[in-house]
Amino acid sequence: MPDIREGFVWAIMLLPLGSFAVISLLALLGLTRPPRGGGAPVWNARFSGHLTIMAVFAAFLLALWSLETVIANDNARVGFGAHEWVTVGLLHVDIGITLDGLSAIMLVVVTGVSLLVQFYSQEYMRGDEGYNRYYAFMSLFTASMLGLVLASSVLQLFVFWELVGLCSYLLIGFWFHRDAARRAATKAFLVTRFGDLGFLIAILLIWSQTGTLSIAGIQEVALTGAVSSGVITWFALGVFAGAAGKSAQFPLHVWLPDAMEGPTPVSALIHAATMVAAGVYLVARFFPVFASSEEAITTVAAIGSITAIIAALLGIVATDMKRVMAYSTISQLGYMMMGLGVGGLVSAIFHLFTHAFFKSLLFLGAGSVNHATGTFDMRRMGGLRKYMPVTFATVLVASLALVGVFPFAGFWSKDEIMADAWDDRKWVFFVALAGVFLTGLYVGRMLILTFGGEYRGGEATEHGERHGEPHESPPVMLLPLLLLAVMAALAGFANINDDFSHLLEGSVPERAHALLTEGHFRLWIAFASVAAGLSGLAVAWAVYGLKVVQPESVRNFAQPLPEILENKYYLDALYEDVIVKRGLLGGAAILLSLWDRYVIDGTVNGVARVAGWTSAQLRLAQAGQAQLYATVVFLGVVGAIAGILVVNPP
Amino acid sequence: MLWPAMTQLNFQWELLAPEFILVGWAGALVLLDLFWGSSAGLRTGRIGKEPLGYLAAAGAVAAALVSLFWIGDHKNFADLIDVNNYTTLFRVFFGLTAAFACIASARYVKDRLLHPGEYYALILLSVVGANGMAAASELLTAYISLELLSFSLYVLASYDKFDLRSNEGGLKYMLLGAFSSAIFLYGISLVYGVTGSTHFNAIGEVLKGDTSDIDMALLLGLALMIGGLGFKVAAVPFHMWTPDAYEGAPLPITALISALSKSAGFALFLKLFTQAFLPLIDDWRYFIAALSVATMALGNLVAIQQQNLKRLLAYSSIGQVGYLLMGIAALSPESASALVLHMIGYVVTNLAVFVCIIIYYNWTGKEEIKDYAGTAERAPFLALCLSIALFSLAGMPLFAGFATKFILFQSAAQEDLLWLAGVAVFFSFVSLYYYLLIVKEMYLGEPAERTRFPTPWLEYGALSLLVAGVMFVGLYPQPVYDAVEDSTATIFAAVEDSAAVSERP
Repeated sequence: MPDIREGFVWAIMLLPLGSFAVISLLALLGLTRPPRGGGAPVWNARFSGHLTIMAVFAAFLLALWSLETVIANDNARVGFGAHEWVTVGLLHVDIGITLDGLSAIMLVVVTGVSLLVQFYSQEYMRGDEGYNRYYAFMSLFTASMLGLVLASSVLQLFVFWELVGLCSYLLIGFWFHRDAARRAATKAFLVTRFGDLGFLIAILLIWSQTGTLSIAGIQEVALTGAVSSGVITWFALGVFAGAAGKSAQFPLHVWLPDAMEGPTPVSALIHAATMVAAGVYLVARFFPVFASSEEAITTVAAIGSITAIIAALLGIVATDMKRVMAYSTISQLGYMMMGLGVGGLVSAIFHLFTHAFFKSLLFLGAGSVNHATGTFDMRRMGGLRKYMPVTFATVLVASLALVGVFPFAGFWSKDEIMADAWDDRKWVFFVALAGVFLTGLYVGRMLILTFGGEYRGGEATEHGERHGEPHESPPVMLLPLLLLAVMAALAGFANINDDFSHLLEGSVPERAHALLTEGHFRLWIAFASVAAGLSGLAVAWAVYGLKVVQPESVRNFAQPLPEILENKYYLDALYEDVIVKRGLLGGAAILLSLWDRYVIDGTVNGVARVAGWTSAQLRLAQAGQAQLYATVVFLGVVGAIAGILVVNPP
Repeated sequence: MLWPAMTQLNFQWELLAPEFILVGWAGALVLLDLFWGSSAGLRTGRIGKEPLGYLAAAGAVAAALVSLFWIGDHKNFADLIDVNNYTTLFRVFFGLTAAFACIASARYVKDRLLHPGEYYALILLSVVGANGMAAASELLTAYISLELLSFSLYVLASYDKFDLRSNEGGLKYMLLGAFSSAIFLYGISLVYGVTGSTHFNAIGEVLKGDTSDIDMALLLGLALMIGGLGFKVAAVPFHMWTPDAYEGAPLPITALISALSKSAGFALFLKLFTQAFLPLIDDWRYFIAALSVATMALGNLVAIQQQNLKRLLAYSSIGQVGYLLMGIAALSPESASALVLHMIGYVVTNLAVFVCIIIYYNWTGKEEIKDYAGTAERAPFLALCLSIALFSLAGMPLFAGFATKFILFQSAAQEDLLWLAGVAVFFSFVSLYYYLLIVKEMYLGEPAERTRFPTPWLEYGALSLLVAGVMFVGLYPQPVYDAVEDSTATIFAAVEDSAAVSERP
């Protein structure tokens, strides 16, 4: 096959963008609206779904072609020229494409998962009044993520990075008539954007110090040591702040569980391929920079480890099926950051790759369960194994992959991370091992509560239809589940010949190869991790299946830990009540507002009143007012003089 | 020698053609209004003088177009007024700004205000003042222009004479404005006393030579001038008039104050500090930087608390002034261009916001944030445009706000003010919060009724142009930046030219 040409690579991003534009245009013209008063959409309402699927499918084929080109190119970066965008004074911004192993893998994952999710959504979103809006936003979301992956300059990347955040705002708040959805959307947008603060400052810093914004240029600078190591460290930490926001790392992870308020297929896309993957991708993209700074890479490893453990603990107490999965995503993202933190670029991205399949499968499975039972509350499920055999089987595969049981996908990638950790930082290895046990525990609990035992009720679905008996979902929803189940079972073999490793190593500059950790396969690590996972499952089975001990008594025994967990470590309360409400809104803003309203206006008004009174008495209104008004303005001028004098002592 | 040009009496009057057009047009509008017929029916809204607004806009556009004639020239009128690219850029910019304000006024004025002829005439006169501020090459001309702009705006701010808020806001604006003018004038006299000249270049010349002792009188003059200009652009702590004037003034005038008065203030600020006070930059740089931080902090933090949309925009505009002051603190050719670029982007975006609010006010007569609940359902196009404009103000990519802010912040970072850029990035994050409140209300709130609003085609046309401008600057700022760079280059070139002249015997 010939090498892909640059125009086709751009098309990967532009196709979904075009589908967004077409749907928006048609919607603005009023051509795709479902009939008033609900009911089945008219014939052209489904057009937006078909268009999106076609666009993403074409993008998927082009992504495969790109991957093929990179492989044919000996895994090296495919050179495309940069295009000048703006030159502003000394600031010179190019836009272009980065096509190497890392971006090609991301392209395939994003388009592949997005394709299946869009296909599945046709049924899931059927009859929703926002059907067109849904597909328009999903197209834009996919396009932004693809643009982020392809960017060759850090500023270009940042633009798409923010767009991904904006789309997540639109999609999480999709069902905006629900209060929870609105709050969740705003929270996600603000929390991730808080991390972006660091990212933007890092961009300004690196630009002012090196004068380059190209990603390759920044990597080069970090490796040659052309700027001081302090600059590199601060830059890396700033970038990591952005990545921690998007990838839901502690302490910015609080938005992800709430993001469940969006439609379930959106969660599948957010958790598997877009948004949260962006942070890991960003750190991986700047891996040479992180690896050149001991402080930065240690931070990544530490934050990743903390995240992996605290999120897994939260997964054990959550009662909402999607929330369990959300915590599991956070925990797995922690694993990826851990992997990067121990120099395991390959293992981290490999885990991102396998995780994309089994996590999107879990979410789509949860959506299927919701379609049948109308709830995500696991206390109202149970016994679904009988009613939904296909969903059960596929979710089981995904769960085993998540726990990392041989030979499912998660086993291979998690094992590589642990091997890298053993070779680089041993404490990370033990954290990871503990995490595997906890993963087994919450996954086992989720499976047993959902599919084991007897059916316990259910209620209306996310969009208002009622159900009696749970039933298996229609084939349009099951087909993506089955395809993903195959991938969740087999994707781990992608790196059995180290093909994946070579592909990724090609995307790191030659000089940085020494910074990569080459974890060696050790049989005992494999056994240890599988054993940890299985024992987690076994404990869950004992407590929730066999009821050897009552969950209640375990809970009582372990107090106050469960209570802390159920309150999510009180972090939400800390952020919302203490920092935002009392600190920012309550304290500073009110103080300033009062200052403005009463001190300044009050001085002016009060002065006017006093002066008015005086004038009535002494008929000196003008003089009185003038002096006192002037005082207010003069205060500032006196400040000005004082300020200048401080700089310039006479 | 009094005034070299005066003895020759060969002023190039044609250089002031745009201003003559504006003044003449203003006079014509007043006469037209007079002979149009009785204004008795205006209050009922039946006999409208709506076309006056479009005529006034045409006059402003005509002046803007005529000023294009001097692109690339370096001329000077009577040693008082420069006509170069800097002047031309601002003449065009101010003319178009006023044109949009007039178009947005047309229906509003017809429905709500008396004496439309004088209203539009004052808008055109304020443009003359603004042009003069950008064009002046010496302090007294600058001062007179500033007063012309200010007095037009004082009257306009209290134009709704049956509304108490309008009267209160206008009065406060005028009283405080008068004092700040006096302060500015005192500053001028001190600077003149020390340097012996009111010409920007000549002052720069004197200051450049004298590096030994810092004269206290000079510093005092500088501080007073910063205070006077700080009032015009609404920098903290000279901003007190802003919220009241914004809330009280008729909506299109609020738009005009936030766009025209602020940018004219910065045009003068930039020119004066480049040509006259650049040699003293180390004395005032950190002071301006401190003003900038205080302005961003107060504007953005207090904006969070506001319930009224006009007050919110008043504080958000104060916040924006904080960013613009960074450009002065980091004064260099790049940062000057970045400042003007950001100002243009900000004004275009802000006009788009105001056009949206005016349209909404024409429909409903409401201006609290909570009144916008469910606008997306009742007027989807308006909600989309307003969201784009607000996201742009918050600095989201794709829109003007991100591109121009990034260029401005990087120019500050380049002048070793990275910490200031960091503070600015933080406060633009804070600003997202309150802009989102409005977007959230529009898209996620329950509308009071479900009926659609009628479509105001002409206003929507103007709005589309502005939003297209926001997107264009956001996606491809290069052409606008090039134009800006050409214009700011002339004020920096003037600094070098004067140096060359003084070396001659």
